[in-house]
Amino acid sequence: MDFLLIFGIYPYFYTMETFSHGKVKKLERQHMPEVSKQTGFPSPATHYMEPKISLEQELITNNDATFYVRIDSNALQEFTIFKNDVLIIDRSFYPKKNSLAMVVIDGEFKVIKIELEAKEKEFTLWGVITYIIHACK
Amino acid sequence: MIALVDCNSFYASCELVFRPDLVGRPVVVLSNNDGCVIAANKEAKALADIPMFEPVFKIKKQLIANNVVFFSSNYTLYGEMSQRVVNILKTFSSKVEVYSIDESFIDLSTVPHEELEAFGHQIKNTIYRLTGLPVGVGIAKTKVLSKLANKMSKKIPNKNHVCVINSDDDRVKALKWSPVTGVWGIGKKHSERVIAIGVATAYDFTQLPMAWVRKEMTVVGERTWRELRGESVMEFITEPKKKKAIGTAKSFGKKLESLDIIEEACSYYVGEVAEVLRAQNSCASAIHIFLVTNFFSTKDKQYSNSITVKLAMPTNDTFILVTEAKKALHLIYKEGYKYKKVGVNLLGITPEEYVQGNLFKIPTESKKTLTKVVDELNVKFGKLKVSSALVGTRVKEWELIKEERSPRYTTQWKEILTLKDT
Repeated sequence: MDFLLIFGIYPYFYTMETFSHGKVKKLERQHMPEVSKQTGFPSPATHYMEPKISLEQELITNNDATFYVRIDSNALQEFTIFKNDVLIIDRSFYPKKNSLAMVVIDGEFKVIKIELEAKEKEFTLWGVITYIIHACK
Repeated sequence: MIALVDCNSFYASCELVFRPDLVGRPVVVLSNNDGCVIAANKEAKALADIPMFEPVFKIKKQLIANNVVFFSSNYTLYGEMSQRVVNILKTFSSKVEVYSIDESFIDLSTVPHEELEAFGHQIKNTIYRLTGLPVGVGIAKTKVLSKLANKMSKKIPNKNHVCVINSDDDRVKALKWSPVTGVWGIGKKHSERVIAIGVATAYDFTQLPMAWVRKEMTVVGERTWRELRGESVMEFITEPKKKKAIGTAKSFGKKLESLDIIEEACSYYVGEVAEVLRAQNSCASAIHIFLVTNFFSTKDKQYSNSITVKLAMPTNDTFILVTEAKKALHLIYKEGYKYKKVGVNLLGITPEEYVQGNLFKIPTESKKTLTKVVDELNVKFGKLKVSSALVGTRVKEWELIKEERSPRYTTQWKEILTLKDT
């Protein structure tokens, strides 16, 4: 798909913006209404076009507070986190009861379930886990 | 009112966000090519025997003896974290002036005076919560005073990293607290001169007659003088200035002798700067190349030279720039020296739309499209994956050694933070 895109065959506008520090943000992918080359009639869907679903838009609330963390261990299966899963962590969220969170205990990262009442070991909150990305391959 | 927000030991703090195991230990960050120490956290600064900007090979033993953790600079990470901070600041004020990678001025003219301190704390806490980076906030009437307030926020313990110079009393107290050498905009030479005439503090400086300051320290000194007295004369610059010259020069990972490898390094740098040029829609009308040997070395022969060539017409085309740069390099290269550094500067930067065609050289659309595709591929697949064959493929041989560089946690999917045993 991306190969086609480079040669301009793919019917999307693809805009990119390069920031000075090299971070690239894909601004939008807007659907372009197809016009019949033969008859010149516009597609009946012309006025119903919407941008495609963007996972980034759906899964990320605050880009500036979001970090990704890969789990390379099988020790977190009780939280349905498996080896090679990627956690989306949003530091702007405040933890609620039963939130999964990445915390720091004695200088080490840990993943825990937040229990507000019970007195737990002392930890520093690093960020609340908002999604777990699991590959099914 | 204006706030100056700056990140504490920014480079080291960026590293520590992802390395909580190192919190409390002295951490330093080394310059490109691991030449010298360019940043240190407060624990490292507390070790008095680690001089900043000292070549690392001289102090490596000291670093290891003091159990100092060192990182090669990871500008990709620092740049991205810096952008996060700026984005967050923009939610607090519509006017943000990015002053450097770790400092920004923000306009707080809409915040009521009595709320300024609480607002400062809110900024500090939000940035820390969202990014993990500690910042200090100085708030005052002018830029120079806010810079001073920022310094106080760090040096005076009970300020807790937020300091507001709210009244004229505060201002006078702050000025009396600060030695004149610490004032932003008063350099070493000027401060020596004013100290010689009996000025010790910033307050003493503001008591000098304006005419004297203007005569002896030009308008720059006068501006500082006015700003310290609470008169805001330095404007907010929210639109970045287009660069007048773009350049890059880095030391090689090892000394290079042969022309063809230096050529490749040079072409690579040209590729880098040409990308910057295109990103701001400008063209360069001249190119400046320099080549130097290692002047620190006592046993090698020394040589350095530079050359500036004017281009037939302004361009931002990597292919043309690389060709011209190589021609220039051939003119200054001499065999038999061990070179340490090659540098490329693009000069006479003009906006693309003002470039006049030349009767004999008409810019072609197809070349432009090609360049655009190459840029997009590079953005997608990583730095300079696609480039002119002139650039060569032996990057490894001369690229900076980055042994201690941390992962690019926020920009490379393959380098995100990985937890092994949790």
